[in-house]
Formats: sequence, structure tokens, C-alpha cells
Amino acid sequence: MKLRILLADDHEIVRRGLRALLEKREGWEVCGEAIDGRDAIEKALQLKPDVVIVDIGMPHLNGLDTTRQLLQHDPQFKVIVLTITDSDQVIREALDAGARGFVLKSDAARDLVSAVEALQNKRMFFTPRVNDLVLAGFLEKGHAISRSHAPTLPTLTAREREITQLLAEGNSSKEVACLLNLSTKTVETHRSNIMRKLSFHSIRDLVVYAIKNNLIQIELPPPPPKTPTGPTAV
Amino acid sequence: MANGGAGPLKNWTSMTVRILLVDDHPIVRQGLKTLLEGRSGWEVVGEAADGVEAVEKAKNLKPDVMVLDVTMPKMNGLEACRVLRLQAPQLEILFVTQHDSPQMMREALEAGARGYVVKSNAARDLLAAVEAVSEHRVFTVLNGRGTLGLH
Repeated sequence: MKLRILLADDHEIVRRGLRALLEKREGWEVCGEAIDGRDAIEKALQLKPDVVIVDIGMPHLNGLDTTRQLLQHDPQFKVIVLTITDSDQVIREALDAGARGFVLKSDAARDLVSAVEALQNKRMFFTPRVNDLVLAGFLEKGHAISRSHAPTLPTLTAREREITQLLAEGNSSKEVACLLNLSTKTVETHRSNIMRKLSFHSIRDLVVYAIKNNLIQIELPPPPPKTPTGPTAV
Repeated sequence: MANGGAGPLKNWTSMTVRILLVDDHPIVRQGLKTLLEGRSGWEVVGEAADGVEAVEKAKNLKPDVMVLDVTMPKMNGLEACRVLRLQAPQLEILFVTQHDSPQMMREALEAGARGYVVKSNAARDLLAAVEAVSEHRVFTVLNGRGTLGLH
């Protein structure tokens, strides 16, 4: 029986690369692809894959919240999170969300097959950095420490986190309402609650918060060149 | 800019468009490769993971087209493009990047690139983009709020 894998990444190019990598393995099959977190949840419930690979930085619903919601639906789902960063905070959140695997995108070509194999054999797979954290006693001391240093993210409900991400992505309240099948009034109420809870006064505060708490991920442009190359048209 | 009617850029011995892929993520390079190698007459001749390697491989492999990311370690794509513009003027450069920004696109074109597409739409735009730049035509596409220009 084939091992069935669901891929969730908003970039088709990345999904193609992952598929090419995974389907080289005999007995493995990519049974579906999702373009964002919501799509991933819908397809996971429909296709019941053995392993779900989610990109952390997806629009509408990010990979960490996707993982949480998948496991709320069914704790048997096995999720590998793909991320561009392995900061302490991201690692902590991936573990808290219930991911069983954690792979850096830059190392996916090297590590992803091993990660899927590990989950297939009912083991977990994490980058060496995560293992370092375990050895340092971070996980043994567990949630007491993680909560005391945690960002304020847990004070938001799951719905509030979803809305925070969508607003930070540039959606209006009306657009958020449409995406979530809610009334605009309901979204506005959630928005007010979020702003009040986090003591924010502007959408800019919300965007900064979303970036710091990995609800959205950004790639910074490269620095400008050190030496001018000549006259630059404006 | 048309090549005086000389036609698409091809290796005269094999009539193949030879493409060098440059991105720091092997998975992205793999995805680009599966897309490009589906086209008859196109060949991915090499890959590079940063700007320094890109410049070196361009010198050794002499590709016709380079598909180039912006954000990379050691030397970013814009810097690599500026260097290659001087060292390999025949090479056509197509940026495939996360940066859905008119400002970044402008910088890329000023650095000497012929094309600019956004990674989120690469599967849709890449083939047309490579075809255009291999024929010395400019090809630039941004998402929604950006500008759209096909020349």
C-alpha cells in the first residue's frame, strides 16, 4: 500500500519540486496539493493522507494554524512543517502546534525524504537545532518556560489569529468576511477585540505583530549596492 | 529589443536553448527544472545556489538564459546580474523572485535583466518568460497590485 502525502504550499513551483523529490521513492504517492491552509484542511479531511507537508508561510491560514486545526479535527494526522527559519520561537510554536516533523526549506532536498520516512516509521524528525534545544532542557522544562517567554499570541483565539493574519495580509474587513463566510459586522467586532487585546491603534501595529509572531512571513529585499554603477533613471 | 531579425537565441550546433538555474533552494530549482525540461529544445545545463556560483557557472557553461533569484547568500541576484552584464553580455537574464514589487522590478531591469516574474506565478509565467527573453524580448509580470508589462 502506497504512502500517501498531501503537499500544502502556495507556490506551485515549490510543490512541483517537492513532488518530484518525493515521488522518486517507490511506494510514495503525492495524493493531493493545497494552495493555502484552508485548502489543506479541506483536502486532508477529504483525502486522509498518511503525511501532510505544510509550508509555514501560506496566505489566509498559515502553516502553524493549519497544523493546529488539522490535529483538532483528527489527532492522528502526521504533519511536517516546512519553514524558511528555525528560530527558537518558530520551533517552539511548531512543537506546540503538534507538528511531528520540522524541516528547513533550504535543506528540504536533503532532509524531507528522511522526515517522511521517520513519520512513516512512527518517529519524529526535527532539524539538529531542535535537538539542541531538547538537550538544553528547553522542552523538558516545557510549557511553563515557553509560556513565560512566549509572545502574546496565545491570548488571541484561533479565530482572532486567523483574522489577524488576513488583515495583516492586506485584506479589508469585507474581504476577510467573504473569505471566512462571516458577516462584515462580525469581522469588525473581532478586529476591535484584537486591537483592544493587543493595545494596537493602527493596522501597521497589526502587521508588525503578525510578522513577529510568524503569522505572515516576509522576504526582505537585498540591500542596495555599495558602489553606484552609474546614473540611475528614476 | 529585437536581435536585428536574427531570430531566437540558440546554440547553433544543437538548436537548444541552454538554461542555467540559480536559486538558493534546491527544491525551487527542482520545480523550475521539471517545468522547463518539459519543453522540447530547452535544456537545463546547470544549477547554482548563490550569485558567486552563478557567475562562475555562467562563465564555464555559457548558457543562453539564466533564471535567477534575487535573495541569495554570498552574492544576491541583482549584484550577480550587474557582474554578468559586463562579463557575459550575450546572456539573457530572467528574474524569478518572491519580490512582487515595481521598485524591485525596476532595479532588476536597470541591472540588466530582460525579464522579471514573481515566484507565486512562476508555473503560469515561466515558459512564456523564458521564450520571450531567449528571443531578446522583455517580459515582466507582477501580481495584482503591481504593474503588468509584456513587450
